[in-house]
Amino acid sequence: MKHFLAIVKYDYLQRTRTYSFLITLCVSLVIAYTFLPSPDADYSTIRISDYVGHYNSSWVGYITAILTSVFLSLIGFYLITGTIKTDNETRVGQIISATPITNFTYLLTKATSNFLLLLTLVGILFVMSIGLFFLYGDGFPFELLQFVQPYLIIAVPTMVFISVLAVVFELIFGKYSVIQNAVFFFLFSVMMLYNPKTELQQAFDVFGSKVVTQQMEQTVRNIKNTNSDQELAIGYIISSKQPTKRFQFDGIEFSTNFILSRFVLVVLSFMGLFLVAPFFHRFNMRERKGVKKKKILLEKKLIEQDLNLSDLAIMRKNYSIIPLFKAEFLMLVRKGKPWLWIFNLMGVVLLATLSIDVAHQIVLPVLWFLQVHRFSDITTKETTNQMHYYAFSSYLPLRRLLTAQLSSAFVLILGLALPLFIRYLLVMNAQALLSIILGGFFIVLLAAVLGLLTKGKKLFEILFFLLTYANLNKVPLLDYFGGLPQNNQFTIYLICLVLILLGLTFLFRKWQLSKE
Amino acid sequence: MKLTITNVSKRYGKATYGLKDFSLTMENGILGLLGPNGAGKSTLLKMIATVSKPTDGLICLNKNNIVKDPNYMRQQLGFLPQDFGVYPNLNAFEFLNYMAAIKGVGGSNMNKRITQLLEGLNLIEAAKKPIGSYSGGMKQRVGIAQALLNNPKVLIFDEPTVGLDPEERVRFRNLISDLASDCIVILSSHIVSDIDTIADKVAIMKSGGLITHGNQDELIAQLSGKVFETTINNQELNAFKLKHTVVSTARKSRQLVVRYISDNPTPDSVRKEANLEDAYLYLTKTI
Repeated sequence: MKHFLAIVKYDYLQRTRTYSFLITLCVSLVIAYTFLPSPDADYSTIRISDYVGHYNSSWVGYITAILTSVFLSLIGFYLITGTIKTDNETRVGQIISATPITNFTYLLTKATSNFLLLLTLVGILFVMSIGLFFLYGDGFPFELLQFVQPYLIIAVPTMVFISVLAVVFELIFGKYSVIQNAVFFFLFSVMMLYNPKTELQQAFDVFGSKVVTQQMEQTVRNIKNTNSDQELAIGYIISSKQPTKRFQFDGIEFSTNFILSRFVLVVLSFMGLFLVAPFFHRFNMRERKGVKKKKILLEKKLIEQDLNLSDLAIMRKNYSIIPLFKAEFLMLVRKGKPWLWIFNLMGVVLLATLSIDVAHQIVLPVLWFLQVHRFSDITTKETTNQMHYYAFSSYLPLRRLLTAQLSSAFVLILGLALPLFIRYLLVMNAQALLSIILGGFFIVLLAAVLGLLTKGKKLFEILFFLLTYANLNKVPLLDYFGGLPQNNQFTIYLICLVLILLGLTFLFRKWQLSKE
Repeated sequence: MKLTITNVSKRYGKATYGLKDFSLTMENGILGLLGPNGAGKSTLLKMIATVSKPTDGLICLNKNNIVKDPNYMRQQLGFLPQDFGVYPNLNAFEFLNYMAAIKGVGGSNMNKRITQLLEGLNLIEAAKKPIGSYSGGMKQRVGIAQALLNNPKVLIFDEPTVGLDPEERVRFRNLISDLASDCIVILSSHIVSDIDTIADKVAIMKSGGLITHGNQDELIAQLSGKVFETTINNQELNAFKLKHTVVSTARKSRQLVVRYISDNPTPDSVRKEANLEDAYLYLTKTI
C-alpha cells in the first residue's frame, strides 16, 4: 500500500508540474466562471423552458455540480488520457515493466492519479461555485450541504468513471488516438442524450445529472400547472425568445438506491480495470518487434570505403520555402496510421454527396476534427522531436519555416473541404466559401497559438473537441466555419479573430526564438 | 576561418552560470573540447551554433559578430547537437532534403550530394525507410550527414560518437580528419580516446570555465615525469587516493594495478609515459 501511494503521489506530481496542466487549469477556471451567469448576462447554462432558478445555495450548488460532472468529463478525459503513452515515450515504461509491479496495480496507480488530477479540478470548481454564490447571491442564506452533497454524489463518482475509462481506452485503442477520441466523442454524446424514465434507468446515467434536472422539470411543471414535458437546455444558451422567469429550487433528497447506484458505478469502474489488466502490453508492443527485425536487416550490409568529402557535389544557396512546404505537408499527411485516410476519404465523399447543409454543418466539422492529431503539434513538433536546434537556428525561421508550416496545414485542411468548395462555387455562394476558408485558417492558427503558448497539444485537442461538440449541437456563437446562417458582422468578427491569431502565432514564435 | 570567443558567459537566473567568462580563439583545424558532464561544453557549443545567445561577451567569426548577425554563422555551419532528433515519419532522403531547405541550400546537385552522403555513411540501403525505424547508430549517422550537407566551414559535433559502434567510430574519426584542412571543427566529448587521435588542439573545461587550452603535447608535457604505476592491496586504495591522483585501476590476481599522478611516488612505482587522459584527469581533478 505504501508503494502504491508513493507511485500515485509522484505520478500526480509529475503531471501537475507541467505548463500544459497549469494552462488547462486556467481554461477550466474560465469555463467554470461562466457556469453561473451573472444575473444580467444574456445567456444561461441550465434552463427549463423559460425558467431558471433563484440563485440560492441549492441552485448554485446543484447546477455547478452538474456542469462540473458533464464538462469536466469532456475536458478531463483529454487532460488525463495518454499517461501510459507518456511512460512509453519517456522509456520509463521499460523500467517499470522490469519491476515486480502487477499489471492491475500499475493500471490502478494510473487511474488513481487520473482521479486525483480531476479531483483537484473538482475541488477548485467547488470553491469557485461558493465564491460565485456570494458574488451573485440574491440574499439567500449560505448552506454548505447544498454544495457538498451534489458534488460528492454527482461529480465525484463521474470523475472516478472517467479516470478509469481513460486508462481502459488507452489500453484498448493504444496508438490509435484518433479512434479513441472519436469513440469517446460518440460515447459522450450518447450519455448526454440518455433520458432515463425510471429510477432503475437513472442508475445508468453516468453523469448522475438527470435525477436533478428531472426534479427541476417537475418543479416547473408544478408552477405551470401542466403535465407536458418541459424543454430542458444544458449548455450555453444565448438569449431567449421569452423573458427568463425564476423558480425556487431547494435541492433534492437523493434516494438510497441512487446513492447506491453511484457507488456501484465506482466499483464497476475498478472491476473493468481489473478485467482489462491481463491484456496490458507492459510496454512490449508487437509493432516494436517488427521494427527491430527490419533494423537488423538494414544494418547487415556494410560499406568498407570511407566518405570522401572532396568528391561531394557542391550545393548552391536556395532560400525557397517550397522544399520546406513539401516536407511539412508530407509530415502532416503521414501523421498517424495510413488506413485512417479511409475515414478522411469517406468524409470527402460524404461532403460531395450529402445535402449541402448536412455536409457543411455535420460532416465538415467532424472531418476536420478527425485531423486533430495532425494539427495539434504543428508548432511543437520541433521541440518534441528535438529538432528545435536546427529549426530555431535555421535561416529566417519566421518567414520561411513557420510560413511553410502554416501554409501546408492550410492546404491540407482546405483540401479536405474541396468537394464543398466546388458545390458552393457551383451555386455561387461566396459567403459560405469565405466562411469555410476562415474556419480552416482559424483551426490551424488556434492549434499554432495554443501549441506555442502551452508547449503541448492537449489544450488545443480539448478545445477543438468542445468546439466540434458545440457545432454539432448548433451553438451559433461557436460556429467558426459558417455552418449556420450568419450575418456579415459574424464574418468580420471571424476575420478579425483569424488575423489576431495569425499575429499571435508570429509573435509567440518570435518570443520563443529570442528566449533560447 | 577564425573564431574568436571573448569573455562569454551564460547565466541562468541571478547567480547560476552555465558558462562564465570564457575566452578562446581558434582557426582551421580540430579543437577537442573535453570536460566532465556539466562542464558547460554543450552550453558553449549551442552559443557558437547560434541556438542560444550569451548573456555577456562576444562571439565573432572572421570578425563578424554572430550574436548580432547569426545568419553569417548559420550559412556556413554544420551542427550535430548532443540530443538531436529527427522527424520519424520522413525517410533519410526526405529528411536531408528538408534539412537542406532549412539551411537554405539546394540546386541541381542537391540530390547527388545527399546520395553521396548516404552512401558514404552507409545509409543508402535504408534511405527510403522512415527514420523512426532506424537504430541509434543509424540516426546518429543521419545527424552527421545533415551536418555535412551545406559544405560547412564551421563544424560543431557535440558527443558525436554516442551510439556508434567501434568500426563506425574509426570511420567518423577519419572523416573528421579530412575536414580539418579548410574548416574549423569543434569536437566535444568526455571520452578522451575520441579526441586524442585527431584533435590538433585541446581545450579542457570544468564548472563552466576553461581550465586549459593548447596542443596535446603541451598539455601532456605538464605531467612529464609525474605518471606512475604500482600495485597495491584493495584495502589500501582509499588511503592511496588521499595522497595521489589516481587515473585508473585494474584488478590483477587479487591486487590492484594503479596508474597515478604524483610528485612523490611510492618507492616501488614504475614511471610511465603521460598521455592526454592523464592530463585530462589530473587537470579536472586537481584544479
